Amino acid sequence: MPFDWLNPYHLQVASFILINVILGVSIYVTLATGQLSLGNAGFMSIGAYTSAILTTGHGVPMVAGIVSGSLLAGVSGILVGIPALRLSGVYLAIATLGFGEVVRVVFINWESLTGGAVGIAAIPQMGREILAALRDAGFSPESLGLQNNQFISLAVFVILSVTTLAVILFFLRLANSRVGRAYGAIRMDEAAAEATGIDTTYYKVLAFSQGALLSGLAGALYAHATSYVSPADFTYHRAVEILVFAVFGGSEHLLGPVFGAMFLTVIPEVLRFVNDYRHIIYGTLLVLMMVFRPQGVIDPPLLDRLSGREPAEGH
Amino acid sequence: MSRSIRFLCLASMLGFALVFMGAAKDAHKASPPARTRKPPVDAKIGVISIITGQGAGYGEAITNGFKLARDEVNAKGNVKIELVIEDSSGKQEQALAAAQKLINSSQVVAILGPTLSTEMKVVGPEANASGVPIMGTSTTAAGITQIGKYVFRNSLPESLAIPASVRKAVKKYNIRKVAILYGNDDVFTKSGFDSMKKASEDLKLDILTVETFQKGQADYKAQLTKIKNLSPDAVFCSALYEEGAVILSQARKIGIKTPFVGGNGFNSPKVIEIAKGAAEGLVVATPWFADRNTPKVTAFVARYEKAYGKKPDQFAAQAYDALYIMAEALGNAGKADRKLLRDSLAGIRNFDGVLGKFSFDAERDVVMEPNVLIIKGGKFQMFK
Repeated sequence: MPFDWLNPYHLQVASFILINVILGVSIYVTLATGQLSLGNAGFMSIGAYTSAILTTGHGVPMVAGIVSGSLLAGVSGILVGIPALRLSGVYLAIATLGFGEVVRVVFINWESLTGGAVGIAAIPQMGREILAALRDAGFSPESLGLQNNQFISLAVFVILSVTTLAVILFFLRLANSRVGRAYGAIRMDEAAAEATGIDTTYYKVLAFSQGALLSGLAGALYAHATSYVSPADFTYHRAVEILVFAVFGGSEHLLGPVFGAMFLTVIPEVLRFVNDYRHIIYGTLLVLMMVFRPQGVIDPPLLDRLSGREPAEGH
Repeated sequence: MSRSIRFLCLASMLGFALVFMGAAKDAHKASPPARTRKPPVDAKIGVISIITGQGAGYGEAITNGFKLARDEVNAKGNVKIELVIEDSSGKQEQALAAAQKLINSSQVVAILGPTLSTEMKVVGPEANASGVPIMGTSTTAAGITQIGKYVFRNSLPESLAIPASVRKAVKKYNIRKVAILYGNDDVFTKSGFDSMKKASEDLKLDILTVETFQKGQADYKAQLTKIKNLSPDAVFCSALYEEGAVILSQARKIGIKTPFVGGNGFNSPKVIEIAKGAAEGLVVATPWFADRNTPKVTAFVARYEKAYGKKPDQFAAQAYDALYIMAEALGNAGKADRKLLRDSLAGIRNFDGVLGKFSFDAERDVVMEPNVLIIKGGKFQMFK
């Protein structure tokens, strides 16, 4: 086989990295307006459950399921955002954390729809569905020199790469647009931004719902990558994990959380050889990071230095 | 404001880090497998277990059971098993990554584990699609082996355990009216409840009320007071021992004197430790009874205690039997081939292990007679 080096294990890890990158971007978008939201796990679960229920129970095509999952998460972002964004700082964090728990408890108790604590199994898996569709069309992965499981993992990886790349490019562009500038202004000084004529409520809700939509997208992709969701996947731990992507990688530039998500997903896998100690090392890393580089690994001065530009003013 | 955000981030991050640091257990390192001269069947078997994080206690018992059985099997010499142990931290993504690693990088012939039913729901379809036999040793929820024809388990499902304890208790205490109490946010306790409900309906019992609680709850008086006022003949309770023991002690305190019937989750010496006298009269069904006086059980308990310094629990016992079942199937298959192994596993009948007589049914699920136990005089005894 010409593609023996193509290991589904590596592709699997890469796929989870990409999903986590989207989650990292989702928390960055809200942080970009200075809002700390811990509701991303909740929005993620809305996306995951919506798509899972639609595709598993109602025969909706996967793409439509993923899109409606993300949109529903985005809409709930607006609904939650409008009242919640009257709060700021720790109060907002607590409120959004509460929202995430409420969503989870709803999923636990709405048994007829969600299966309760048992969750939803046998969700169509992206790679397997694509393989099945291609097989019907007369294509076989063997003709490319790929084994079935290689092809399945590769398909998932490709879809996720394209999606993630599109998300990153969109938000990189957004940062330099009118919207991005408004976000930056609100982040630096909300009162001053308001005084210069920026509709702060509009932009804050916009950022909040963009974050929610992205979390929902990541959730839907997660559901179709693992083919199983349960409320236990979307606890407080998940919310903090997402936050850590931004805090570790740096929350002042989009590439910070992207890096954070990549690094923090790879590390536990790379450290598999020390099995018993890997989470000790993981934890130590986080603590050291907080001590020596509290702004996160990647910040604008670092990016400027890397790209050989003069440090921008104000840093 | 941004300072308070920074502070909050720092605080939650530190908390996160500390949880992980505290959770990682000093488990035992895998020792290299004992070498025998000319082993007919040489097999590499993957293990997915919780080595770090919440639930590492289960993972430790399970891997200990595997290792003990491996050393014994290898010493006998007709099958030589090498274990490749991977950690899942109890999370689906990590379990899936570990499975992919075992299937594709380590090229194992079969997988034992993962620990939780939720993990199995993610890992099972993948192993099945890749044609790798996978056997759960602690996955008790419904619908596990129905994932596919490569998925097995040797852990007694709640759907077998609970009807056994319910039937015996109903007969002995002449129960007509019951109250059911269960944890609704956990796969295990929820599956247990489904079995309790079905068993009660099959026996035409009158279900007075169904009450729920959540993991980690500390006060059950509201539910228990309601149950007390309905005066049932018995309380069926689907809980893990952490919550179950507290429920028992609070129930006895507010004056519920009826028998309690539980599932497999109650089967832990910890129940007696925590609930003390209140645990008296609890009826549970379990595959594992350490004080059953058969030579196999006595020998296993002694060897396990010698190796790890404590008595084996049901998770260790199930893991121990699972590896022996694998070894027997490997011996029957004649070589370490995934498909041959699957077929010979599916043919295992009347295997004699520390849990008693064990067979796979046509759906690769468990066929065995559970032990029904009662707590009497501060310890588990056979319920007659």
